[in-house]
Formats: sequence, structure tokens, C-alpha cells
Amino acid sequence: MNDGPLIVQSDKTLLLEVDHPSAVEARKAIAPFAELERSPEHIHTYRLTPLGLWNARAAGHDAEQVVDALLTWSRYAVPHALLVDVAETMGRYGRLRLEKHPVHGLVLSSTDRPVLEEVLRAKKVAGMIGSRIDDDSVAVHPSERGNLKQALLKLGWPAEDFAGYVDGEAHAIDLAEDGWTLRPYQREAADSFWDGGSGVVVLPCGAGKTIVGAASMAHARATTLILVTNTVSARQWKDELVARTSLTEDEIGEYSGAVKEIRPVTIATYQVLTTKRKGVYPHLDLLDARDWGLIVYDEVHLLPAPIFRMTADLQARRRLGLTATLVREDGREGEVFSLIGPKRYDAPWKDIEAQGYIAPADCVEVRVSLPDGERLAYATSDPDTRYRLASCTHAKIDVVRRLVRQHAGQPTLVIGQYIDQLDEIAEMLDAPVIKGETPVKERQRLFNAFRSGEIGLLVVSKVANFSIDLPSAEVAIQVSGSFGSRQEEAQRLGRLLRPKTEGRSAHFYTIVSRDTVDADFAQNRQRFLAEQGYAYRIVDAGDLTAEPS
Amino acid sequence: MLDALLVAGQTTSAELISIVHADEERTAAALQRLLDLALAWEAPGGVRALTGVADAMRGMPGLVSGLRPSSPEPARPDEVAARIAELTPAATALLRHVDDHGGEGTTGSARRTVSPAEARSPAEELISRRLLVPRDGDAVVLPGEVGLALRGGRTTREPVDEVPPLATSPREATMVARTAAGAAFDVVRRVELLLDHWGVQPPSVLRSGGLAVRDLKAVARELHVDEPGAALVVEVALASGLVAEAADTDGTPSWLPTDEFDVWSGLPLAERWARLVGGWLASSRVPSLVGSRDAAGKSWNALAPELSSGLSEEARRLALQGLAEVPEGEVLAVGTGIASLVQRIAWLRPRRPTVFADLVTAALTEAAVLGVTGAGGLPPSGRCVAAGDLPAAAEAIAPHLPRPVDHVLLQADLTAVAPGPLETEVARRLHLLADVESRGGATVYRFTSASLRRGFDAGWSSGEVRAFLHSVSQTPVPQPLEFLVDDVARTFGSVRVGHAEAFLRADDEAALAALVHDPRGRSLGLRLLAPTVAIATSPLDVLLPRLRELGAAPVVEAADGTVRVSRPDLQRARTRRGRRPAGAVEARRAAQVQAVATAIRAGDRAEASRPASAEATTTTPSGALAALREAIEAGSTVVIGYVDNHGATGERVVDPRRLDGGRLSAYDHRADDVREFAVHRITGVRHA
Repeated sequence: MNDGPLIVQSDKTLLLEVDHPSAVEARKAIAPFAELERSPEHIHTYRLTPLGLWNARAAGHDAEQVVDALLTWSRYAVPHALLVDVAETMGRYGRLRLEKHPVHGLVLSSTDRPVLEEVLRAKKVAGMIGSRIDDDSVAVHPSERGNLKQALLKLGWPAEDFAGYVDGEAHAIDLAEDGWTLRPYQREAADSFWDGGSGVVVLPCGAGKTIVGAASMAHARATTLILVTNTVSARQWKDELVARTSLTEDEIGEYSGAVKEIRPVTIATYQVLTTKRKGVYPHLDLLDARDWGLIVYDEVHLLPAPIFRMTADLQARRRLGLTATLVREDGREGEVFSLIGPKRYDAPWKDIEAQGYIAPADCVEVRVSLPDGERLAYATSDPDTRYRLASCTHAKIDVVRRLVRQHAGQPTLVIGQYIDQLDEIAEMLDAPVIKGETPVKERQRLFNAFRSGEIGLLVVSKVANFSIDLPSAEVAIQVSGSFGSRQEEAQRLGRLLRPKTEGRSAHFYTIVSRDTVDADFAQNRQRFLAEQGYAYRIVDAGDLTAEPS
Repeated sequence: MLDALLVAGQTTSAELISIVHADEERTAAALQRLLDLALAWEAPGGVRALTGVADAMRGMPGLVSGLRPSSPEPARPDEVAARIAELTPAATALLRHVDDHGGEGTTGSARRTVSPAEARSPAEELISRRLLVPRDGDAVVLPGEVGLALRGGRTTREPVDEVPPLATSPREATMVARTAAGAAFDVVRRVELLLDHWGVQPPSVLRSGGLAVRDLKAVARELHVDEPGAALVVEVALASGLVAEAADTDGTPSWLPTDEFDVWSGLPLAERWARLVGGWLASSRVPSLVGSRDAAGKSWNALAPELSSGLSEEARRLALQGLAEVPEGEVLAVGTGIASLVQRIAWLRPRRPTVFADLVTAALTEAAVLGVTGAGGLPPSGRCVAAGDLPAAAEAIAPHLPRPVDHVLLQADLTAVAPGPLETEVARRLHLLADVESRGGATVYRFTSASLRRGFDAGWSSGEVRAFLHSVSQTPVPQPLEFLVDDVARTFGSVRVGHAEAFLRADDEAALAALVHDPRGRSLGLRLLAPTVAIATSPLDVLLPRLRELGAAPVVEAADGTVRVSRPDLQRARTRRGRRPAGAVEARRAAQVQAVATAIRAGDRAEASRPASAEATTTTPSGALAALREAIEAGSTVVIGYVDNHGATGERVVDPRRLDGGRLSAYDHRADDVREFAVHRITGVRHA
């Protein structure tokens, strides 16, 4: 037994004791191959997955290093079966290679003939390969490059792709570093992506993934297609690119439900690409509209399934995935790995935080008790109206007022789901409301006013708050929400609460009715936030005045 | 050596030594040892083996070298060599083939008595030159001297006195010890987990005595191991006496943890491990066969009684002893190491059947899983095991095993991580309050409202839960967890249910308290629920007079809460509370009215059919039976006199249906249903 900070469990989770003196070193050693799953205050949980190990392999680590890291830092003896499994799994990557052959075009080759034989006999692969060139290689039709990689991954023999990329139509793009500079980790991320060819860059929320995208475009100096989650996000990308690069507004096109421009740099939403009419995707032509040299996928973990199928046909182009986490709620991590590429860069969250680029928000859950009358109404109501009753209690409105007063002078957002409630709050606080029916123009105006500091308080519905970038917000108060996907929650939080210039920390309040379904939802959320390492407190509405601001 | 002696039959010691492919001195020493052991003796004609020895050896499947004894009057070696030299290439090949395959063969159509010149086939060629000797039937035997000649005058082609080397590679000793300890900890944990699980959900015993494949798969899933691994854990538990066959609560034979398991669970980790290893070492079980098929194509089930071999114990011992020869700091080389050890053991024990090699290989694998070996080498603890000293082994491994910890780390995501094996008492309590999420060197627990409620159900109070959490946590209890405990405590038992016969209400709190605490009223079972409410376990009719005796002046409250004032001297019985709802009573009444009407109608019919004379009533049993049969055939209605269960005699108007077994089945007009009547109770029958 040695006194390492790491405990290796037989279910392939690694527990890292954060307060241990050598925790930082141990973290550095295991980060390349283990996925961080949870990071609450004392013990962080990492998981060993085949994909994680293959990612490490793609990044040049070998099994020996992994085993060595586990043995060095583990407090207890490492289960033997796990070590064997690690070596075995890592050995599988790279036995098969996709290469460019001067005569035969794309070929699949292997140094391990039995493996090649095994995969060639698999039914899934049968339709994708051409004639046998020699004992160790076989021709592959270029259009099947992506599908083959997917199939091979499913067979457990991921192929390494050395077939290279097309350069695409050249287009001058430079970073305009006037008054700002690329952060070191951003530069590293862009460089390692470029060296690796294609792949995913994992950076925590708020660490400036857009800039990494811009830096990669400056590397490529070619026409670029950027795929983002929604229109608001597309506008942000555009603004950011205009500000940070030599690109002008005319060079950047938006391709969304409203506007359909194709320019040297085009920003399209997932939604428009996946719109289906009469069984066909009418906007798919966009992918071939230009000779794209680089394709950027924003928020890879949200990439919808049809995009994967389209991506399978784009294997000859460079692909950059940007995300805060490789964990997908639908479990399709494997497709990200095989179609977009392995993880190329992963900045330890703590490091970036330590460098002061991101700051975790102070999350507070305020518990209110339903007044007796409402409690009775709640108890006797139908299950489907209960949530609404619980979230819209009047007790919350009073809490909102107190919170707003407490944080007077700080830019504050009130977020909610039910319009009636929001209207009521807005009236009481005398603040503008942004909801579904608010025209886009008005929304933009209000957001801009908020950013510039003209308005210090904004009440927004969920429709509008989805993926807004309001770096000036210091306080957010969530009065109701369905807390849908936990993933989304963290995204919103990260987007909303950027580090403040004065070093003040941001506050994120959620007002929850005690002993109701509202509180049940809150519990899931609380768990997720705690797992993400956000400081999390619960406060009784009655104790609120005692809160330091 | 002995082998050579048997091959040679009776021979001189010098000749004997010459045919053994080994150093002369050592061979002479070995011969001397055989003489000392009286397995061989120096007969006048030379050294020969004891008669019994040859029989004993021949009973085994073949001799080690595959040679047969020489013929009684062997030809001289040079003659044999000359004869072999004459052979055609085909015959030489055949001869070598026979030699390599145990020195015995069948010839089929070859003629037995031919001269070399007449030989037409390779076999005949060999037989004619007495290189193969015909036996009964088709069988031919390669005599020892021919074999010797083929092998260059020796019993074996390879020298036999060279110990097969072990393939080893250097490995840090601490590494070996740590790997072994890791495996040891794992196996102990798995056995514990398995038996904890089986204690609650025991798998049933197959009719053939084993564990069903499905149950084994379940074990593998539960323990995060593959099926062979699961089979080993199960078998080790059996070998250590921790699991046995017993009837479960339903009476089906099941595999259950023994009471020995409870003792075992209380032991320190190292001793628990030593027990498992001891059980494994001494058992004749063959877990490695589980899942494979026997000769009849039936697959072996874990825990099946036939799954044992007399050789497995020796195989394990030899494997460990062989491994003990590897010096510290070195381990068996990856890949070739195990094979070399198996070879070495085959050399040491040449006369074991071929399965022995498999058993040795399996023993090595098992030893690695059990943590007796680590990374292919023997740690100090393993050396003690090899030497058979289990207590010393336990002592040697103890420092490498995780030390039990008495604290956990509580986190805001409502998990608790025990960074090592928890002390039993703490583990037991934590297990009650939280669910286990991940096991291994450490254990991850998760608190949920359901798990905390479980704790409250077991009688914990929120104060106790908090105190416990504070005591086991090294860090402050995270605020969300405290809130969760409070939340659960608040909703837990917010409505309470209990038994009471009567309640007492009083606005005067003091008076009620005085009443409850009056020693004279103890028998009433008074208990204060709130300052103004008490309950009593005695019924109202007992309670009222007693309360008056105690100086209280109670008034009875009606069900609607109004007060009923009654004179104290008026006696009242307690109103019997109807057990049935009002509707039921009405329904019953309606049914009764109908029954009465039916009875009256039946009575009317009986009256109407009453005969003028009494003779028509048959009263003798045989007559009654005849009358009933008649009525059944005719389908007519009769009136029977019947003595009912209470001894009362009555008349019934019935349509007889069937008569058998001393019972009459008939439609009873009054009951409006088919009824059964005992014939011996029928006093008479007459026509209606």
C-alpha cells in the first residue's frame, strides 16, 4: 500500500482525492486517458472507457504509460483484470490504418493480418470494401470512409485515419489580436487540433471555445462551415469572428431558418440542416455548396443524429469539434470519436480556473414554503398541474423582490417558464420582459441595452434565455423551469456567468417550493451542479436577509 | 531410471546406466536409490525390478518414455540396428510412427508369419524382422530393444537429468507483493459480496447438485467478473466452507452462506484471505472446468459435486512450490513463463496423466486471482502459502492490504466516499443510510431520501443521523446533505397511527396531565398525545366509572362531537359497533324475506301434496331408497323427512337428481338450489 491520491475501483472508476498533496500530479497523469465524470469538493470521479483509452492512444500515449500512471498514483493495489483490460483495449487502436495509396486510392491496411481478416469477414463491413490489394491491405471506396470507421469502431477495432484531407478553397483568415491575445491554452488547443488533423477540443464552459475555432480557421486559411446549435448562437459566432479575425461582416454568411446566405465562412444551425421535407433534407446541398476546407461543430455533445450521417460523407475535410464534455446523454460518444475524430485537447478545468479565465458561480437554492392555502390547493390538484402550482407560488415573488434589492446595482436576470408569473414579477419590479412573443428586434435591443448597462434588470422566459450570451449578468434568479437536460443546465450556467472584471463572483439563485415536485427537480439539478464542482448552498427564504451580498 | 529398468528387463547395472540418457554418475545414484527403496534388486543375472513394480507401472497408461519392455530374449543391439537398416523408407517411417505413439499398433490385414523376403507391405516387413511383435488379435508391439535402437540406444531422445529451465524475467518485488495484495483484497471482497447477496437471494441447487448457468451469470454480473472468475469465487467459497446447501424459507434446496461466514466476516482482512487460500489449497475442486463440456457433451456446472479431481490439490501444491524456486525479484516471464513451469512440473512428476498439465496451468491462474501470486511471481505471503504456513502468510500480506478506515468523505453531491474498507460497524450503519454506488478499494455511497427513510424506519432519529454523519466524516457535513436529512425527517412520520379504545379531551391541561399521571389510573392505559388530548387502552364502559372514581367528571362525546349528558347512576352497555355497513344489513334483510317466502311456498306445496293416508310414506330405509330412485327416474318431486345437523326433523320438498355414496343430490324447493342430503338422515319419502 502506498499513499497515493488515487483509488482504482474494479468497476473502472478512478477516485481522486483532491486534497491529497500529490493530487495535481496524479490528475495530470490520468487526465489524458480517463474521463472526468464528477467533480464535487473532495473526491473526483474519473472513468476509464474504451473511447477514453483510444483517445489517449491517438494522442500518443501507450498502454504502458497508462498502467504506469495507475500503479504509481494508486493508493491500493490495482485490480489485475483492469490492467489487463487496459492493455488489451489500447492495443486494439491503430492495428488498422486508413491510408492513401498512390495507385489504389483509399486503402485499409493492417500490420496484424488476423485482425484484418476478422474485420473483412464481418457483415457490417462487407459492403464498404473493394478488392483485396495484397495480404495486408484492401481498397476502400472513398465515400465509405466515414461509415467504415464507424463500423470498425463498433467491431472494437478502431482504425487510425492517415488518409489526409483536401485543402479546400483557400480564403485568407487571420486572427486580429488587437487589444487581446490568444490565451495559452487556446493556442495549444488550436495547434494540437491542427497537428492531429481532425478531432475534438474539450474546454469548459466559458473558456472561449469560439476563439479556438477562430484560431483553427486562421490555421486552415480556407473556407469554413460552422455548425451551431441555434440562431442566437450563430449571431454570437458571427460577432465574435468579426471582432477577433480579419474577416468582415460580408465574408460571413448565416444559414438558418430566417436567412440563407452562403459566404466563404458560413454559419449554419443544426436545425436548418436537419429540417426534413417530404423525406429529404432540402438544405443538405449546403455541405457541398463550396469546397470547404474546415468544418467546425459547436457543442458536439448536442450534435443531432442526422448530422452524424452527413458527417460520414465529409471525411476528407478537416473537422473540428468543440465541446465542454464528451459525455453525451444519448450515448453516441462512439460516433463523435469515429466521425469527427479523437479528442485532441482537453484542458483540466481546474487549471483554467486557476489561471482566472473562468470562475464558478455561487449557486444558491432558496427554499420557500407554500402558504397554507396553496399547500391545500397543491395537495388536491391533479398531478399534471402540480408543477405549475408549485413553481408559481406567490411566496416566490416576494423572494425575488428581496434578492433583487439585495443585489441592487448588479446586472440581474430573472428567468422563468410561466409567462403569467413573469409578467407579474416584471410588473412588480418594473422591468422589461422578453418572452416568446417579443419580436427578435426588440429582443436584440433589450439584450444590447442590458449588455451596455442601460438596463440593470431583465425578466426573460425560457424561450429567450436559451443560449443567450450575456457576459455582463452577475446575478441570475431562476423562478421556474423544467430543468430539462442536466447538460443544458450547465451550458446555460456557464454561458450566463462569465468571470467578472472586478473579481466579483456571480450568483445563481433558484427558488424552489419546499416539499413539492419543484423540490424533486431541484434535487437532480443540485446533484448535477455539485458533480460539476459548483459551490452549492441551500438557503431558507426566511434566512435570506442574513445573506451577505 | 525405473523406466529404463523395466524396458531392459533384467540387465547389468553398467548396461542399464548406458541406456539412460543422462549423466552416468547421477544415473548410478538413481539406481542405487531404487535398490535402497527395494524397488529393484540385484538378481544373479543382473539388476531387475520387483515383479510388483512392473505390474503397478503397467497399470498406468503407458510408460513415460513410451517404450515397451524388451522381449524375453532380446537380440543384440547391433543386430537390431542391422535389421532396421534393411528396411524400406516406408517401413522405417511406420516403425518410427509406432514408436512415437506408445509402441503399440494394429496391423489390419498384414500376415503374421512371413519371412523378410516375402514381405509385401511395410507392416509385414517389420513383423518378419521381429521389429514388431504380434500380440493377440491385430495388435503388434514394438519391443523395448527396437525402441532403444531407434532412439540411439537410450530410453529417451532428450537427456532426462537436465532440469527444464524456468523462463523468468526480473520484476520488482514490491510490485509483485502489491499486485498480489490487490488480488487478495479483491477476492475477499468478492466472496463477501457474493455471500451477502446469496444470503438475501439464494440461488437454488440444481437437481444434479450444481449451480445453474443462469445463476452463475448473475454472479458474474454482480461481481464485475467474467464467468470463469465467478466460478472460481463460488468454488473458493464452497471450498472454504462459507457456502453450503440448505433449504431456504420455501423449503427449496438452495446455496446459502453458512454460519461460518458470519464468523469469517468478523475476521481481519488478512485472516479472511488466509482462510480462503487454505480452503482453495486443500480442496479437490476443479473450478477451471466450469463452462466446459465433459466427454458426454454435458457442460460442467459450478458447485456440481462431480467437479473434483484427486490430482488438483497436488497440482496446486506443485505449482506453488515450483514458483517458489523463482528467486525474489524475478517472476515468470509473460507468455512463456507458465509453459516452462508446467514443463518443469511434468519433468518432476513424469508419471501424471496429461490432464495434470492443465490442472497446473489452472492452479497458476487461480493463484493469481486469489492473490497468492502477483504478476507471475510469489510475494513473501505466497511463499508462506507454498510452504503451507497460512498464519504466516496472513501476517506477511497484512501490511499490503488496505487498512480499514473509520471515516468517510461526505460531498455536496450527496455521496460519501470511504477511501478504503470501512470498519464493519461503520459500514453496517452507512449501508443502512445510503445506497452503494461503486465498490472496490474504496466504496462510494449515495444518500437519497429513500435511503435515509430506511434509516428512520430502522429507528434512527434525525439527531442520531446527523451525529453519526458528523462522527464519521472528516470534513464538515455538506449543507445539502443536512438539508436532505432535515427534509426527510420532517416528512417522516408526520402522520402517526396507533391503537386506542377511547380518547380524553380536556381544555384544562393540568387536569388531564394529573389524570394521566395518577398512579391509580395506571390500569386504564392512559397516554398523553398532546397537552389537551390523551388516549386510553380501556373501553369506555370501564373508563367512565374509573375516571369518576379518580375524581374526574367525564362526559361522553358522541361520534359527531356533541356532548351526551347522562346520569351517573344509569347503567349503559357499550353500543355494539356494527361490523357490517348499513347496506349489508338491508341486503341481508331482503334476502331473509325472500327466503321466508320461498320456505312458505315450499311448505304450501308440501301441504298440498300431503296424502290422505299415512301409508304412502315410505319409512324403511330400503323403501326410501327405492322411492328416491323412482323419483330420480321419473324426475318427479317428493317430500322427504330429514333430520338436520341440529337434530331437528323437518320436511323438504325436493326433486331428487342423483343418489350415490350414501348421499342424495336433489333440488331443494325451499333453498331454491341443489343440495346434498345424507341418506341415513332421511326419515321417509313420499310423493309430492
